[in-house]
Amino acid sequence: MKRVLVTGMGGEIGTRVAQLLEAHAEVDEIAGFDIDPPRRRLRRSRFARIDPRDRERVVEFVTECAPTVVAHFGVYEPGSRLGGRDAADATEACTVHALGAAVRAGALEHVVVRSGLVVYGRGRHRPQVPDELAELAPTTHYGRMCLDVEAVAAGVARRHDVSVAALRYAAIVGSHVPSPLGRVLRLPAVPIPAFEDPPFCLVHQEDAALAMVEAVTRRHSGPLNVVAPGATSPWQAVRLGGRIPIPVFGSGWELAARLCDLAGAPVPDHTLELLRRGHAADGAAARSALGLDDLRPAQEICADLYEWATVTPLRTAEAVA
Amino acid sequence: MSTAARATASLGVDLDRVTFPMSLRDLVRRRLDGRFPIDAFGADPQVQDVVAPLVSSIVAVDVRHAERIPRSGGALLVSNRGVGLAEPAVLAMAVRRVVGRRLRIVGGPDVPVIGGLVRKLGGISNRGDDVGVALRAGHLVAAPLAPTWLRLGAGDPPRTLLAAALGYPVLPVAVAPGGPFGLPLRPWRMDVGEPLEAPEAVQRGDPLAAAELAEHARDAVASMLRASD
Repeated sequence: MKRVLVTGMGGEIGTRVAQLLEAHAEVDEIAGFDIDPPRRRLRRSRFARIDPRDRERVVEFVTECAPTVVAHFGVYEPGSRLGGRDAADATEACTVHALGAAVRAGALEHVVVRSGLVVYGRGRHRPQVPDELAELAPTTHYGRMCLDVEAVAAGVARRHDVSVAALRYAAIVGSHVPSPLGRVLRLPAVPIPAFEDPPFCLVHQEDAALAMVEAVTRRHSGPLNVVAPGATSPWQAVRLGGRIPIPVFGSGWELAARLCDLAGAPVPDHTLELLRRGHAADGAAARSALGLDDLRPAQEICADLYEWATVTPLRTAEAVA
Repeated sequence: MSTAARATASLGVDLDRVTFPMSLRDLVRRRLDGRFPIDAFGADPQVQDVVAPLVSSIVAVDVRHAERIPRSGGALLVSNRGVGLAEPAVLAMAVRRVVGRRLRIVGGPDVPVIGGLVRKLGGISNRGDDVGVALRAGHLVAAPLAPTWLRLGAGDPPRTLLAAALGYPVLPVAVAPGGPFGLPLRPWRMDVGEPLEAPEAVQRGDPLAAAELAEHARDAVASMLRASD
């Protein structure tokens, strides 16, 4: 018997994780909570609309569910669904309250947490393409948030004989997932580094969900970098969408970030770092451990980012008589 | 076909194998449209295909025992070098010509602008973890010995890089200038040695096995350099 708790079930990927889990016969019950309602129809998942900062309601819901597995997608990327401070608060509360209650419920066997490549940080004297053994030294706010989530999960594993997996996702983008990188790249004119074109990795929203489901069902333990094959660069990503690249350097990035914000695309520090310095990682271990053989390549993900459904206005009925 | 190869197949350029050069018009159009492959290290095969013929027209190389270089899969070439970029450039051009593969050269500077350009041409950092990732991805990697002034003999071996390469073929390569101080009076000479035997039953990263392999590599390169004098 497997009862799965999906935190962050109201997000695009959390909802998709629940949908995919519903197709697994060995999963008996699926329950989840989030700030927002699910983005798609769920047939046999139980959802409660709870703010993760509401400790009492989270604990009550999780205790009643008594999950054997937690798929922790309640890690809110700043600038995605919540702003910086709210994202940090909601992530911390969701992680501590949900995992704590799940442990106390007494049936917990396995936890999979969402993390990001941001935990490796960027800068000189660091590997260009870190694998899972690389030193964790985040250089951004979101990176430190993800590292804290991993630390809490590792604590649970140490003290309660629970297996824990951390999925360190590359920037998750897709045509329908709210992501700060996606919003910036969809602007008509996009800031790019003037003198460099640093590579960065991506992962498609559908593949991100699939990786989580595989980590849940295969009971994988340990960290894994989830990245699409290949890489892209600011110039390439911008041109694949037919946008205008605006070369920026030095303190011009501050101005560019403010202008993007005014245009409706806030640029948190981890997105700014990705555009300026790139962010790649080795995803071979995840592909092998989770059987992810058909991940969408980076360039295809970029192309998908710009593929909005064409809205054809309905024509008014013509007189026939 | 590897995952990375599948990822870039639609872009008409292979990340490992040298492909037919495209026309200048096609190339410019693809750059402007963003339809060109890049790998996680930043290598840009289109840029490489533009630069390679220019360098090849300047640098002539005679290669001995080219058949020893693997036609596919990860392998590490350990070669001598002097101060400057001559030996790595010669090595990359020769490998490209004789086996049609793109070489990843260890030691790209970790500085803005220049570092980015070197990465486009196939440079990777001189960290063992990056070398390990490149080998696992099936790339042919060149790790130079420490540079020697005046190009006399083989320098100190890169032990941490060899630790990452345990389990992969390691080939010593001697690169010698045709003329004194690398002057292009005669073609450069490149000699590929027999693959070195790594100690059996060692785990990847074993420091003792890596030090042993490093010494073997330096001795092999040094003896090939002496033989070519």
